[in-house]
Parts: sequence; structure tokens; C-alpha cells
Amino acid sequence: MDELLQALVEGILIGSTYGLIALGMGLVYGVSGIVNFAHGDFILLGMYMCLGLYSALTLDPYVSLIITLPAMTVVGALVYRFVIRPIASHHLLMVVQLTLGLTLVIQSGLLMVFGGQGQRTPSFVEAKLFVVGDIVMRGPHVIACTISFALAGVLFVILRSTDVGRSIRAVHQNARAAALMGIDVGRVQTIAFAIGIGILAIAAALLAPGASIQPSDGLRYTVITLLVIVLGGMTNFVGIMLGGLIIGCSEALGTVYLSETLGGLLPYAIFVSIMLFRPRGLTWGTS
Amino acid sequence: MMRAELWKTLRSPLLWVVFAIAALGPLEMSSYYLHVATLALIYVALCSAWNIVGGIGGQISLGHSLFVGAGSLLASALLLKLGINMWVGMLIAAVLSGALGAVIAWIDFRFRLGHLSFALITLAFAEMAEIVAIGWDFVGGASGLLLPRDTGDFFAFQFGGGRGSYWAALTVAAICVLANLAILNAPLGYWLRCIRDNEDAARAIGVGVLRTKMLAMVISAMLTSIVGTVYARYLAFVDPYQLVSPLITIEIVLFATVGGLGSAFGPALGAVVLLPLGEILRGKLGGVLPGLHAFVYGLIVIATIMLSPRGLLPLFSSWLGGKAAPESKAPA
Amino acid sequence: MGYGSVPVLRGVSLHIAKGEIVGLLGANNAGKTTLINALSGMVVPMSGRISLAGADVTRLPAKARVRLGIIQVPEGRLVFPEMSVRENLLLGGINPTARPRRASELERVLDLFPRLRERFSQRASTLSGGEQQMLAIGRALMAGAKLLMLDEPSLGLSPRLVQHIFEIIERLNAAGLTILLVEQNLLLTLRYAARCYVLERGQIVVEGTADAVRSDPRTRSAYLGL
Repeated sequence: MDELLQALVEGILIGSTYGLIALGMGLVYGVSGIVNFAHGDFILLGMYMCLGLYSALTLDPYVSLIITLPAMTVVGALVYRFVIRPIASHHLLMVVQLTLGLTLVIQSGLLMVFGGQGQRTPSFVEAKLFVVGDIVMRGPHVIACTISFALAGVLFVILRSTDVGRSIRAVHQNARAAALMGIDVGRVQTIAFAIGIGILAIAAALLAPGASIQPSDGLRYTVITLLVIVLGGMTNFVGIMLGGLIIGCSEALGTVYLSETLGGLLPYAIFVSIMLFRPRGLTWGTS
Repeated sequence: MMRAELWKTLRSPLLWVVFAIAALGPLEMSSYYLHVATLALIYVALCSAWNIVGGIGGQISLGHSLFVGAGSLLASALLLKLGINMWVGMLIAAVLSGALGAVIAWIDFRFRLGHLSFALITLAFAEMAEIVAIGWDFVGGASGLLLPRDTGDFFAFQFGGGRGSYWAALTVAAICVLANLAILNAPLGYWLRCIRDNEDAARAIGVGVLRTKMLAMVISAMLTSIVGTVYARYLAFVDPYQLVSPLITIEIVLFATVGGLGSAFGPALGAVVLLPLGEILRGKLGGVLPGLHAFVYGLIVIATIMLSPRGLLPLFSSWLGGKAAPESKAPA
Repeated sequence: MGYGSVPVLRGVSLHIAKGEIVGLLGANNAGKTTLINALSGMVVPMSGRISLAGADVTRLPAKARVRLGIIQVPEGRLVFPEMSVRENLLLGGINPTARPRRASELERVLDLFPRLRERFSQRASTLSGGEQQMLAIGRALMAGAKLLMLDEPSLGLSPRLVQHIFEIIERLNAAGLTILLVEQNLLLTLRYAARCYVLERGQIVVEGTADAVRSDPRTRSAYLGL
């Protein structure tokens, strides 16, 4: 029983960050209709930036956000504006291949600069443990969960109550009507993409402390994000966070209860089961 | 009417010139370029087979590595573990793949999957297949299988390596491209494109959606499996991490899309351009700095797409001032 | 001018004086929506000029035209379905010209359309057709419309509602708003518009005062395709 609870707690802790990451992708998909295959690789980019900044300036990953957040947001805006947007009106699959090219560039770039063996970024919270009853929780995980939920909340408020957020929702709900209201649809899409990448910078800082990373990890995060976002109904806020928790827990339960190989299978099996019976994902109501 | 289109394409002199060059090329090539060309042809076959569902059908299947795996691992295992002739093994794997394909198509229909769901569910199946293959000793587990040396015994499914394997690859490539041409010019192709462009409208005018999708998937799966067997024979070492992995799917979809989805020659063109590019980059830059060749490759892919977002084939056709490929539309 | 390489409008010349209600008539596919989209900046003309109060706006992007007060109420209303009436209206006033006066404009619009005040927090998708039309017009007013272009406002509405909407349009015009009315409904438009143009297959076949257009036999044939 304890084992189960421990696994569930870990699943929730990591799943909340999966949800946050997927919200970033959902934002971009809702506004420009594209799926960024390099999503996971941007996370790795952020994590390696934390590593680099630690090596150079002994900055804790959370502190290096001061640099990585604006840097990645700007990079995101530039990449969208000059590489992706010109192609965004074409076949979705072609855009996906473009982002696949980005995956190769980022992944290999990281490989060239940092090498392929696993490396980890230390952090002052690395060894901290939170103990509640018989459940042990690692410091970085608790921080990640808290900030993920908080950030999701902030994002929700921004979308609901600010003009920028309303513009984003307007473009998502009816791009033509939005344009008729004088909204610059292209600019809103660029902003949404930049926000999405900014979220990834934060997620990277949350995931980095103590974790061993390799450039090829990006694909894994991309696949997880895809599973979460489809489970969540593509643009449904609550659905996506819930999807994140489900995938997080499936992963955790899989590794604890099943063998190494079968454990990896569980998230996929659960994904397929849910999708077959709810093809629109975990949505209720709309949007 | 459509039959006439097919004959017209087949009579095109350009097509025969290309085929002649392809057939006679190996007489002049060094073994390295022969190897690259053989691989390119294998991918021409794989991409063309995938195109039947992915391009013409508009259904993005990310599970085709399943069929490659069946054709390669299963046929090899049947030979090595049960002594079954590889021709027979190839057929068994093809039938099995066809059945799997039919099941997948049925699932898609029964559960009304959207395009993204279909893509991810097929991906999920493919990932699961990889995990299963790596854990299953009969098909070689994590260490793979080693096929007996290729001595050119045709009845044992051996082509003699070198030129013989090249011509085998050329044969399957031609078969797959011809299959595309045949389908595009037959009612099946028409129905597939109707479904691709507007499934509800297609259903409303009486197109048998389940039957059409299933047929396309079965053909695609069987062809892919057959190519998988030839591929395994060529490589001789059957590595599940290479042949049953989503990576092979990524390559197939990349080449097919960049080449020009939905047309008969687009995916082939994509494979012919991008695969050798990748191999040669790996050869020249692979040792210089790990990752450099992939980095350059990624940049070239990005540049290619930005310069020719509708695919390479439309670019090509306009140079030759000729037949435009059927436009493919984005899924809803 | 047209979409892709197929010309839709040919040699069209339109003049709208300040404070007028001008009607643009024609059967389906005559090119009316293309014309209104060109004025909004959603479609770029292959040739020709568009000017507002003497200034050439042909090359001006859509968002700049909105700032100048050229606002389109599109066919089908196109309200933001998942947003409340309040949010739809707030979005109307999002452009930099209208933004400063947004709060006061909101009150004005709600006074004009009391029904919207009733439904203030409701999702736009739950509104009836007539209410959505009011919302769409209200949204356009929030955007600071100086030239209000309505594409088929009567579409799908009951005669009584249509009457109500048109009375409001007349009131707005009386208060100084210039209006371009694009409609299939011949008689209704002729009643409210001072001058009219009739489009047929991309060309203007009749133009003049409402009376002149009404009695012109070419008007009828443009609609019936004779």
C-alpha cells in the first residue's frame, strides 16, 4: 500500500510538470494549428543551458532562469517568426518535418557542444527531502510540482483576464473574426509560441536539478507531451493538466510494479485505452 | 479514363530513362556508392508503401515500423529458428502484417479516431512492438539475429550481395512505386483521396470508408513487410533497435513528406535525395565531431522545406515543365 | 481582383459619402463578400485604389484599417463562441484607437442593446441568432467604427428581428455612422439605403438612388439570372 501511495505521489509530482509542458504545446497548437516536434528538444536546450551556466558561473538552475527565461523566449519568438511562420500555412505534416529538422539541429548542436555522456546539474535543493508520514518526496520534485501548478494557474489567469490572453483565445476560437477586430494574428501566434518556449525554459529549470541528461532525451519528452496533449483534448486546460498527472502516474506505477520492459509500456497502454473510449480526449464542456 | 492516365505515365520516356539509369547504374559504381544506392532504393520502397495510407489516404500512420519489424525480424527468426525458407517466411510475415494493418484500420474506424489520435495510437503500438521485440528471444531479443552468409542462392532468398542486392532493392522499389501509380489511377485511389479531403462528404456519397481504409492499410502493410524482409537480407544483421524502432518511421515520413506527399513519385524523390545525403554526410563528417553530420542534415532539411514547402516533386515538375502531382490537402 | 488566379471582381468602382447608407446588392456569388473583404484589407486587390477621406489606404494592412474605423461585421456574425458577451465586447475594443474609450463605449453599446446587458455573462454560443447579430454589431461599435460594413445581417433571422436590427442600423446612421450594407434582401435594403449598387458576376450592373435601382429592370434580372 505504501509503495502504491509513494508511486502515486511521485507520479503526481512529475506529472504536474508534464502537464505544464503540454500546456505550452497546447497554446501553440490552439493558436497556429502546428505541432512542434522539437518541443522536447527545447526542454533539453534549457536544461543544458542550466548546466552550462552552472559550469561557468556556478549558478543554481533556479537562479539561472534569470538568463535562460528571457533568452529562450526571444529565441522562440525568432524561430517562430522566421522559420516556422512562413511554412505554417502549408500541410501540417510538412510543418512537423520542419520542426523535425529543428530537432536534429538542436539535438546535434547540444551533442557537439556538450558531448553525449550523461551529465547532471547540481542544485542546493538536490538532497533535500520532504517526508509526510511514510511518503518520501525529493526536494526538486516538490518544487517542480508547486511551481507547475502555480504557473498553470498564472497562465489561466493571463488567458482569462488580460487583453493579450483574450487575443490569444480569440485567434484560437475564430482567427478571421479576430483579424476583423484588428488583432494581428501573426503577432499573436508568435507571442503564443514565445510563451510556450518560455514555459519550457521554466520546466527545464524545474527538471534539471540533479537529473542526468543526454541530448537524445528530447524525443522522449516530445512523445510524452504528445500523449498528454492528445489525452487532454488538445486545448483543454484542465484536461491537459489531468492528462499530465495520468501519464506521470502511469510511468511511476509502471516502473514500480512491472518489470523494466513492461513498465515502459504502461503509459502507452493507458493512453491507447483512454483514447479508444474517449477519442476527443479528457474534455468536458469545451475549450 | 483513369486507366489511360496510367498508361500515359508508363509510356513517359523520362520514366524509362530514369529506370534504365537505375538498372544499369551499378555496373559503374564503386561498392560504397552501390551500398548507398541500395539503401536509397529500400527507402524508396518503404516511403512509397507508406504513401498509400499516409499520402494518398491522408492517414498519418506512425506505426509502420511494426511492419518493417515483422518482415525483417519474423522472417529471419523463422529461417534461423525453424528452418523455414525465407521466401515463405516473407509471405507469412506479409500476411501477418496485412492482418495487423486490417486490425489497425478497423480500430481507427470503430473508435472514430481523429488524425492526431490515429498517429499517436499507431505510434503507441509501434513503441510497444519495439519493447516486445527486444524482450522476445525468438526474434533475437536485444542482440538481434544474424542471417547466414549471402551466397546468391535465389531459392534461399539470397541475391548475392553487391549488384544482386541492388537489383532486388530496385525490384521492390519499382513494385511499390507501381503500386502507387496503379492505386492513384484506380477507383481505390479516387476513394482514398475523397476520404482524405473530406471523410464525411465521402461517406455521404456512398464511399465505403472502412473497406477503403482497410484495403489501403493492408496493401501498405504487406508491401512494407516484404521490403522489410529484403532489407533484413541485405543487412544480414537484423537489429531490432534499427528495424523496429520509431526512428525508421521518422525517416520514412520525413522523406515521403519532403519529397511530396500523395503523389506517386514524390516519396521516391524524397528518399532518393535525402537518404544518400544523410549517408554521405555521416561518412564525411561523422568522424570529425559527433553530431556534426546530423546538425548539417537538419539545417539542410529546414532549408529544403523553406524553399519548397509543397515538397520536392512540385519543384521538380516545374523544372521539367510537366505533369503536376496531385495536390494533397492538410488533414482537418 | 480575386482569389488565386481567378478574378472575381472586374472594374468595380464604388463611392460612399460620409453619413450615407449605401447598399451593395446582388445574388449569391456575385462578389459582394470579396468586395467587402477588399475594403477590410483581408483580400489584396490585383489592381485599383481604395481611399478613405482622400487618403490612399490600398496598401494598408487589415489591422491598420480597423484603427481608422473601417469595421466589418462578417457574414454569419462570427462571434467568439466560448467567450461571454462581455468578453466579446471587450475584444471589440482591443485596437489601440478604441482602447482608451473602451469602458465608456461598453456602456453606450449596452444602452443601445439592452438584451446584451441581460446576457452579459453568458457564452456567445448560447445566444440566439438575433442576439448574436446584436453582439456582432455591438462589437463593431466597440472597435470605433466610422464606416460600418455589414455582410448579410438579415441572414437566418426572423422578419421581426430583421426589422429590429435594421431600425437600429438606421438609428446609428442618424447619429452619424456611415454604413455599407451588403445584402441579398433586395426590398429591405432598398427601403433603408439612400443609394445602391447591384453586383452581378463581379461587375456593377446598376447604380443610383434606391428608387432608381428599384425600378431598373436590370436589377431584377441580376437576381434572377435572366
